[in-house]
Formats: sequence, structure tokens, C-alpha cells
Amino acid sequence: MARFTRYCPEYMEDAFREHGVDVGGILFAIHTDMGADGAHADTYTAVTRDALLILTGEEIVTRMDGARRIVAKFASRSFESIPLEGIKELTNDRLVATGQLCAITDDDSARALLLYSVGFLGDAERLAQVVKNVKAGVPALRDVSVDTDRFCPKCGRRYPESGHARCPNCMDQRSITLRLMGFFKHYQRKVLAVLAVMILGSAVSILTPQIGSRMLFDEVLTPGGSYFAMLLPFVALIFLVRAVNAGLNMLYGFVLARTVPWIVYDLKMRIFEAMQRLSVGFYTSKRTGALMNRINRDANNIYWFFVDGFPYLIVNGLTFAGVLTLMCLMSMKLAAVVMIVLPLSVVFFRILWGFFKRFHHKNFVYGAQLNSMLSDSINGQRVIKAYAREDAEAQRFAAVGGKQAGIDVKMNNAAFTAFPLIYLFMFLGQVVVTMVGGVMVVEGELSLGSFLTFVAYLQMLYGPLEFMSWVSNWWARCVDSAQRVFEIIDAKPDITEPEHPADVKGIRGDITVKNARFEYDPATPVLKGLDLTVESGKMLGIVGKTGAGKSTLANLIARLYDVNEGEIAIDGVNVKEWPLTMLRGGIGIVSQDIYLFIGSIADNVRYAQPGASMEDVIRAAKAAAAHEFIMKLPDGYETRVGAGGQDLSGGEKQRLSIARTILQNPKILILDEATAAMDTETEAAIQASLAALSKNRTTIAIAHRLSTLRDADSLAVIEDGRVIETGTHRELMTKMGAYFKLYKLQMEGLKVINMDAE
Amino acid sequence: MDMPDALTTAPIAPLLSDAIDLGYLDPAEAVFAQTLGGFLSMKYKGTDYPRVAVRRSLPLGMPNEYLSLADAEGKEIAILRDLTRLAPDQRKLVESELNRRYYCPNIVDVKSVKDQLGYVYFELTVQGSGAPAPRMCAVKDVNKNIRMLSDDDVIMFDVDGNRYRIPSLKALNAKSRKRLEPYLF
Repeated sequence: MARFTRYCPEYMEDAFREHGVDVGGILFAIHTDMGADGAHADTYTAVTRDALLILTGEEIVTRMDGARRIVAKFASRSFESIPLEGIKELTNDRLVATGQLCAITDDDSARALLLYSVGFLGDAERLAQVVKNVKAGVPALRDVSVDTDRFCPKCGRRYPESGHARCPNCMDQRSITLRLMGFFKHYQRKVLAVLAVMILGSAVSILTPQIGSRMLFDEVLTPGGSYFAMLLPFVALIFLVRAVNAGLNMLYGFVLARTVPWIVYDLKMRIFEAMQRLSVGFYTSKRTGALMNRINRDANNIYWFFVDGFPYLIVNGLTFAGVLTLMCLMSMKLAAVVMIVLPLSVVFFRILWGFFKRFHHKNFVYGAQLNSMLSDSINGQRVIKAYAREDAEAQRFAAVGGKQAGIDVKMNNAAFTAFPLIYLFMFLGQVVVTMVGGVMVVEGELSLGSFLTFVAYLQMLYGPLEFMSWVSNWWARCVDSAQRVFEIIDAKPDITEPEHPADVKGIRGDITVKNARFEYDPATPVLKGLDLTVESGKMLGIVGKTGAGKSTLANLIARLYDVNEGEIAIDGVNVKEWPLTMLRGGIGIVSQDIYLFIGSIADNVRYAQPGASMEDVIRAAKAAAAHEFIMKLPDGYETRVGAGGQDLSGGEKQRLSIARTILQNPKILILDEATAAMDTETEAAIQASLAALSKNRTTIAIAHRLSTLRDADSLAVIEDGRVIETGTHRELMTKMGAYFKLYKLQMEGLKVINMDAE
Repeated sequence: MDMPDALTTAPIAPLLSDAIDLGYLDPAEAVFAQTLGGFLSMKYKGTDYPRVAVRRSLPLGMPNEYLSLADAEGKEIAILRDLTRLAPDQRKLVESELNRRYYCPNIVDVKSVKDQLGYVYFELTVQGSGAPAPRMCAVKDVNKNIRMLSDDDVIMFDVDGNRYRIPSLKALNAKSRKRLEPYLF
């Protein structure tokens, strides 16, 4: 990326110059698409050392030169210069499909500056960052990417997804093809063998009419022919050619079947390995969520194209070229007739196909709707019955089913009309050739055998032609799948192993969080400058409302995400410098979302320590108060859990996940609402074991129920992404602040149901 | 068959409307104004709300009914049952606030559609509150991001999160409709 010290496209400079602005002083400028009233307008906003300039009007783009637009005229409607002095900061509010840039003034009042459609949110955030930099006296474009990085240099279109320099418009199909071919590299010999067999097969099938038609009629059945009346050897020859063809087909299928599955295996392994490497953030972003669901379909698309499409593409291509060449060699005149008739039938075929496809699409849409309704109804049976909605569900189904039936009728009608018409037209071509060829035979220009061979060849052309007319769509789908697969293989993990890891032997357990800022989505900060310290071996309790950022903190300490600003250090070393395996091996998290893998309970408990003895597994299960329920299951520790296995309750799963962490024996233990899904009795049992376990271990316990934090050495109250109170239970109670309020609220709640937590 | 009176008249459980107050806005008590900073403010039952957000409960089906009015902290002040209950000048203020938040121009023309490697590029003419304007956008996962709200009504979301609406497919010109058709699910 080129480094800029200022950024303002030339066309904007021209427009600002008309208002007497010294354009050399413009540090950064953006172009947004709305006026203050929400109607379409072109708005240029620029930042100088001491002012914000907003110019609104209409631009008339006369020419686009790649990424650069060259504006002929800018008809300005309004111009405003707002001094930066008095503005504390610029903020962006995301509305539903728009964003609003606001200025917060020194007296904390707000002023709306700019409205834009949501696609410009990134630009507006950059503008806010530039103002922040100017106010802080640092280089204006520090941490700011400029406009040109987000446009495709080739076609000038914006990349469809920001932070993702990939232009589907200009994506080189050839390079994807070459890369896809790269997967065949290890199987060169087998692929060559497949190709050789296929070429041989095509050659034999092209030669068949030469023997079966031309030689049979001209040489064997015609008096005076070279092999006149030698019927038996000739029939044997015809059979032999057929047999060779069948043999080649078998050989080809055999070699292909042994090669392609391994290529797809390679592809799947590459995807899977790449997925393991990627960070948690990759999986939680919506974009990749959808990506993951499609992986299997993508691998299958590629598979089927290479098993089914690609070989036939070659066979059909070769057959087509071979047959056409032979036709020309036999009779240029008749071949010319074919070349006129053929394209016509292709056009006709395409028109009918397009017509047919529209019904097909609608039918597919209704079919998909019916399917999702069916699965909805099966999964929701309990609710449907509970609310006595059986009839309503049936009606809902009937409505879509009826639509599909209607389309089916139309589609069948179209099919019954279209296909006979296509065949009729194909036959028409044959009629023309027969006509012209017949005249040539009568006039002695062409032998009967050659004529019959020609007709046979004509029929051999239609198959490849039909195939070619739709294989391009198939190919496009395969390339589409391939590029998504490559996107995953190429994705760079956000969290990477440090280049120069710190020289550390193991975790002692001191944690410091300094001014940590973090956001999952732009313009929605979760942590807003959080500070915390926990001494090694001590227990810190974290309390706060839902969404205050408690679980985010746990994720950041284990480096599942990296902070945007600030620092998290363990034993005085930034987590970014710790070797990843050592860091994560030393931190155990028991969180709200529990995942059990497919396998036995014992395997799940020893997931982090596969070599742990059975005694240790049982010990850990006992500590997690899981032993008793496990023993009640018929297969005990060998009970299969996970997808398709034994159903466990939320509390039971949580206990298994605690056992897993206990066995891992980490130096830092993070309990994120670890006992939230349990009854009071079980919770008490686990609390006792956890208390025993947290000795000599740094423990961070996040809890909603304050009673679970009674043993904490200190407590921190988090609100709105910041720590607002710290101290021991006693200190915070005497302080009578936020903690005191929360505590009182919970105690009162318990009193209502005649319980006393103390 | 006659039912005993006690069974037919005595309420079995309190009605929901008696138990939960929806908190409707009394239009006579509310005064909206635009602040110098460009925000919508409201004076309601003696309280000043310097910055009010208006959100639609049913942005697609009933855009002008059940509007939630919230203060700067996001706490709901009241629900406006129907925009038409406000005086014309007041209504205009609320409407312009809604337009700003729920910008969703109508598609009036589809100039070209290009399907490329998982993205569908649209060259459109769209019309919001002002004059029609050209617009280029890219849509990913069309079966999710182009939705039929009814047989005739379409909403489309592009990769940036912008929304576009076609209130009536039948009213759209035939060429545009034909270009769109393969992407309607």
C-alpha cells in the first residue's frame, strides 16, 4: 500500500477550489451520497488542519478512468466550513440503512453533520479518525487507509466487501482454473492415462461409421468393391471395433474412479486444515458463517464437474472436432450445408431452453419453500400440537404446494411442446442434408456409403452440441465454488503465532489489562478502555449486566481475539508475544456455550489431555459433580455424546465441560457463568470443588449470581465496557455504589420467595 | 345447550390489554421540534427529550403505525399508534426522521444484471425521497438477500447493507422484470 500524507481526489479539489478553499490544506476527503434530508445528493466532506468542509450538490460524471472518476461539472447547492476548534470528537451512529456523522462539541452537545447510506460507514469512520489524529497532533493519515485501496485498480468498481481486496468482476477465471488444475499435479500420470484412453475412445467411435457405413456399403455390399461379399469377416470387424470401444470405456471409468476421489480428498483436507488455522473471529463473522455451510456443496460441485463434466467436455470436444474434420474431408459441399444448418439449430435450442428454464426456476423456488416448510413442521411438531395449529399448518403447506403444482403443469406443458419441437428441428437439419446429399448420390458425386456415413456423423454432432450449450453454466458454477474454497484456503488468520515469541517457560498467572478497547463490528465498541489486574493465585470476581463485555474479556485473555487498542499481559508479557500453544494450554475457560464432540464421555473429559488415566478422568468428573449422573447412564463413561448421541441436560453438559477443564489443570482458570445452568444443590457441590481447585491458581469468575463470588479475593464491576468499581465484597458494600445496588437487588429478589442467601 | 351464567360471563384470566399497558403516545400532549444540532426533540407531558429516536415496529408492512419513540439512552418513551394522528407539521418532522433512519429507495429501473462468481452486480435507477439516481450495487447470496415479501413486493439487500424495495413487480417495466426474474426466490 502506498503511503499518503494527504488524500483528496482531483475532482473534489476542483469543486472545493470554486469556493475559495486552499486545496493544498485538505488532508482527507470523502464522497457520500446524501444530503441532510436523506434525498440523493453528492456530498464532499474534507478535513483541513482547522476546519471541516462540507460541500453538497450534484456531480455529473462524464468519464470514469478505472478507479478514478473525472467529473466535468459539480453544481453546488451548499457549502459550509465548520471550525474544528470546539469539536471534541466525531462519532458515527449506525441507523437502519443509513449512518449519521455527528460532532460532539466541547460542551458535550451533539450536532448532526452528515447523513449517508450505510455503505459509506467505513469512509465516515476514516474521516472521524483523521479528525482524531489532527486533534491529537499525530500524522493525519495514521491508521487510515485511503480510497484507492478499496477499489479494484482494473475496473474501478468498489470491492464488494471491505477489507477484502477481491474483485469478482475482474477475477481471473484462468488463474482459478490453473490453480484447480494444480490439484492434479500429484496425479499427473493417472490424468495423462485418463486423457489418452479418452482420446483413443473418441477416435474409435469416430471411425466406427467409416467401417459400419462407408466400407460396408461401398466395399462389401457393392459389386466391384475391394471386399465384395466378404460379409462374415466384415461383421466380425464391426463387432471388434465395438468391443474395443467398450473396453476403452471400462478402462477409462476404472482409472478415473481411482483418481478423482483422491483429488477431492486432497481438496477437502486442505480446506479442513485451513479452517483449523483460522481464528474464532472468522467463524463468528456472518460472511464466513454462510461460507462454511456451503463448503460441502462447493467440494461436491468441483467433484462432479471433474468426474462428470470435464471428461465429457474433452470427449465431446474431440468428437465434435474430429467428426467435422472427417466431414470436410469426405465432401466439402455437404459439410458446408451442415455448417449452415447446425448454428441455426443451436440458436433454436437456446431459445427454447431459456423459455423452459424460467419455469424450471420457479418450480425450484417453490420446491425449496416446500422443503423448508416440511422441516419446519417436523421440528416444530411439539409446538404445533401444543397450540392446536395442525390445520393451519396444513393450509400453509397446501398454499405453496398448489403454486408448485400450477407451475409444474406449465412446465410439463412447456416440456411436452419444447422437446418434440427441438427434435423436429434437428430432424429438419437432417432432411436438408438428406436432400442435398441424395442429389449428390443420384448424380454420382458421392457414394451411397459416404452419404450414409455423413448422416451418421450428423447425428453424432448433436450430442456434443447440446452438451456444449450448457456445460459453460456448469463450469461457471464449478469456478464459483472453487473461488470460495480458495478464499478459505487463502484466508489469513487474525490471530497468528508471534514472529519472535517471548522467552517464557510457563505461565505463573499475573494478569494485567491496560486500557483495552475492542469491537466485533465497526461502530459498536464492546470494551471502551478497560483496566484490570489480578495477582497470581488470586481470584477475581467480575459482575455486570448482560452485554457489559464480561465474556469478551475472557476471550481476549485467552487470545481468541486481539484487542483493538490497549494491552493484555500475562506475567508482564503481552499475550501477543506468548507462544500460542503455551498460552492457551495454560488458560482454562469454562464458558456458557459448551461443546461436546462426538465420542464417549471419557474422551470428551480428556479432550485437552488425551493421555490422562481413567483414574484422573473419574477424579475430574467427581470434582465437577458429574460422576453420579454419569454412573446412572447404562454405558457409564463409555456413553456416546455429541451429535446423535445421548441427550444430556444443559447442567450435565456444563459439568462435563468443567471436568474437562479440571483435567487440563491450567494455571489460569476462567469461569464464565460456569454454574449458571445448574440447580442450587449441584452448584453448591461444584462451588466447593472449584474452591479447592482455585487454590494457587489465578481464577477469574464471571457470574450473574453474586452469591457464587463470595470466595473472590476481589471484585470488579463492569459497565458499558469499563470497570467502574473494584474492591473486596466488604469494601464495595461500604462504598454503597453499583455493586451495593446489584447486591441489594438480588437479596430482595430472594426475600420475595422467602429465602435468605446469607 | 345452555351454559350456567357464571361460566359464560366470569373472566377466566385477566385480559392481556388490562394487564399490560402499551404506553400509547397522547398526540395532544406531544410537541416535536428539530434541534439546532439537527436532531428530533420532543416535549411530552412536561418532560423535555432533546434527542428522540423513532423506530418502526413493522418497517415493511405498516411503516407508519406502531412507532416507538425512545430517548437518547434507548429507553422507550411511548408508542405512536399511527402517524396520521399527528398534526401535519408535526407529522412532517417525524416522517423526515423516519426517512433518515429507514432509507430504502425504490428500484424504478434495472439497467443491467451481471452474475459473476457468487456476486450479482446490479446497475439500477433508484428513487428515494428526491429525484431518481443511478446506483451500482453488488448482492451476495441472492436467495437470502433478495426476498419476496409477497407475490408482488420485493426487498433487496446489497453487500454494504443498503436496502432497496420494489413495491410492485407488476408495475416495473417488462425489461427490468425479466432481468430480475432469475434472482427472485
